[in-house]
Amino acid sequence: MEIFDALLAGFATAATPVNLLWALVGCALGTAVGVLPGLGPAVTVAMLLPITAKVEITASMIFFAGIYYGAMYGGSTTSILLNTPGETASMVTAMEGNKMAKSGRAGAALATAAIGSFVAGTIATVVVTLFAPGVAEFAVKLGPPEYFMLMVLAFTTVSAVLGQSTLRGMTALFIGLALGCVGMDQITGAARYTAGQMELLDGIDIVLVAVGLFAVAEVLYCALYEGRVSETRNRMGRVHMTRRDWRRSWPAWLRATAIGTPFGCIPAGGTEIPTFLSYATEKKLAKGEDKAEFGTTGAIEGVAGPEAANNATVTAAMIPLLTLGIPTSNTTAVLLGAFQNYGINPGPQLFSSSGALVWALIASLYIGNVMLLVLNLPMVGLWVKLLKIPRPQLYAGILIFATVGAYGMRQSAFDLFLLYGIGVLGVVMRRFDFPTAPVVVGMILGPLAEAQMRNAVAMGEGSWSIFLQRPMSLTLVVIVVLVLVVPRWLARRRRM
Amino acid sequence: MPEGSGIPSPRAQAIVGAGVLLVAAGMAFGALQITGDAGYGGVGPNFLPWLCAAVLALCGAWLIGEARTGGFREASDPGGHPKADVGAFVWVSAGLLTNAALIGTVGFILSCTLCYVLAVQGLRRASGQPQAGAPGTWARDVLTGALISAPVFWAFTQFLAINLPGLTETGWL
Repeated sequence: MEIFDALLAGFATAATPVNLLWALVGCALGTAVGVLPGLGPAVTVAMLLPITAKVEITASMIFFAGIYYGAMYGGSTTSILLNTPGETASMVTAMEGNKMAKSGRAGAALATAAIGSFVAGTIATVVVTLFAPGVAEFAVKLGPPEYFMLMVLAFTTVSAVLGQSTLRGMTALFIGLALGCVGMDQITGAARYTAGQMELLDGIDIVLVAVGLFAVAEVLYCALYEGRVSETRNRMGRVHMTRRDWRRSWPAWLRATAIGTPFGCIPAGGTEIPTFLSYATEKKLAKGEDKAEFGTTGAIEGVAGPEAANNATVTAAMIPLLTLGIPTSNTTAVLLGAFQNYGINPGPQLFSSSGALVWALIASLYIGNVMLLVLNLPMVGLWVKLLKIPRPQLYAGILIFATVGAYGMRQSAFDLFLLYGIGVLGVVMRRFDFPTAPVVVGMILGPLAEAQMRNAVAMGEGSWSIFLQRPMSLTLVVIVVLVLVVPRWLARRRRM
Repeated sequence: MPEGSGIPSPRAQAIVGAGVLLVAAGMAFGALQITGDAGYGGVGPNFLPWLCAAVLALCGAWLIGEARTGGFREASDPGGHPKADVGAFVWVSAGLLTNAALIGTVGFILSCTLCYVLAVQGLRRASGQPQAGAPGTWARDVLTGALISAPVFWAFTQFLAINLPGLTETGWL
C-alpha cells in the first residue's frame, strides 16, 4: 500500500504539463537517435548533460529516461529496415527482422517489436516498482566491504563475461579505471595525474569520455573505414500484425520478459546475453513451418523475443542503478553522472532522501512506455524518413552536438582537444575489437569503488581479510570467482 | 586473417599491445609522484594507480604475446574497409582540432560551422563523392553548417542558459 501511495504521488509529479512535455521530447528524441545510425542513448544523454546546470532534476531525469527508452524502440526500426544493425542489442533483432523485411513483412516485424517492447517495458517497470524499494531497504544494511565487492562483480561481468575476450575486456576496464584516477583523490585530496593542468584537477568528465568514445570515434571511424560502405534499405509495409502473428508473438514477449528482467536486476548488465538467450529459446520452441521460417523468410518470434528481452533488461537495469548506485551499461553510467551533477549519489538512501524524485522517475517510465507505443506504431513512417539524411551531413552534424556536450560543461578548449584524443582512442578500440562499456563503467565506478575499498580496509584495521569475514561480502567473493571460472570451465568441457 | 577482413595485422596488434605497455609505464611514473599517506594496509591514494599500472603492464605483455602467436584471440571483424582512408581522417581531424583552437576566439557558431564544413568535406571524399570539392558543394556545406550551429547555439544559450562562447556580446552571434 505504501508503494502504491508513493507511486501515485510519483504520477502526480510526472504528469504535470511541464514534466509530460519533457517526457515527450525525451521519447521523441530517443526514438530519433535510436533510428539514426551513429548515435545511441548513452552519447545523446552525455551530450545533453550540460542541461543539468539549468533544468530542475526531476524534469531532466524524466527527459533522460525518455531518451534511454526511446532509443531502444527506435533501434529496432533501423535493425529491421537497414542491413546494418546499430548496436549489439539490436543485432539479434536484425537477424530475423531483416529477413522478415526482405520477404515483405517489415510492417509485422516493426509492430511486434514495438508492442513487445511496450509489454516487456511495462512488466519490467512493475517489477522495478515492487522490488526496488525492498532492494534499497536491504542495501542500507550493506557496508563498504559488500559495496566494494558488488562493484567488483559489476567490473568482472562487464569486462570478463560480456565481450569476446577477457584480456581485451580487462584492458578496457583498467584503462577506464586509470582515467578515473585523474584528478583529486576523494579521501586525501592528493592530486593525481594532473600534469600541472588546472583543468585536470576536477578529473576527466564522463561527458568527454562518453562523447569521445562513441560520437567522435564513430565519425572518425566512418571517415577512415566506412566511407564507401553501401547500405540497402528494405521497403516498409503497413504496420500491422495478423491473428497468426499475434498468436506467435505474445508467448515470445512474455518468455523474453521473464528472461530479460532478472538479467537487468543483477549488477551484471548487458543486453547481449538475454537477447541471444531469448532468440535461442524461441528457435528451440518453434515447431513445423514456424521453425522453418528461422533463418529463411524470418520468424516473427525471433523479433518479438529479443526485442522484448532487450527492453525488459534495460528497464530492470534501473534497479541496480537506483538502489545500489551501480550502473551496468553505458547509458546507466551516464545517467549516474547526471545524478552526480546534481550532487546526488544514487544508492540505498535515494528512496528515503529523494523519494519524490525516484517515484516520479518510475511513474515516468509507465508514461514513457505508452508515449513510445503511440510514437512508434502510427508514426513509424515519420521516423523512417530520418534514414534519408545522408551520412556525411549527419555525422558532421553530430560533431556540433558533441561540441555542445564537451564544451558546455566547463567552457574549456582543453576539453575539446581531450575529446579528440579520446575519439582517436575509441577508433583504435573499435578497430582492434576492445569493448568500450568497461571503459565508461570503470571510469565512473572506479573512484567510488576505490573509496569503498579504502573504507573497508580501514574498517578491517588494515586487514584485507575483512572481505572474507562478513557473510555477504564472502558470498560476493564466491560469486565473482564463479563468474570468472564457470564460463571457462563450461567452454573447456564443450571443447573436450 | 581472411582476405578482405578488417581485422588488423598481428604487427599492428603488437603495436597496440606496446601502447598499453606505454600507458602502464606512464601510470607507474605518475604513481611515483603522488603524495599522501598510505593509510591502513598500505592503501593510500597511490594504491589504485599502482594496481592499474601493474594490470595494464600484464595486459600489454599478454596482448603482445597473443599478437606474436597468431593474433588477438577471437577478434571479430570490426567492419568497413581493410585499408584506412587517411585523407578523410585528416579532414575530420582538422575540423575537430580547428574547432578546439578557435572556439574561444571566433565563437561557437563560426567555429562549429568551420568544424562541420571540414568534417563533411572529409566524409564526402571518403564516400567517393566526385562533386565534394565543387564551389557549390562548399557553399552548401557552409550554409548547412551555419544553419545547424546557429539554432543549436541559440537553443542552448537562450533557453537552457548554457554558457557557450559568442563572437559578440549580443548573445545572438
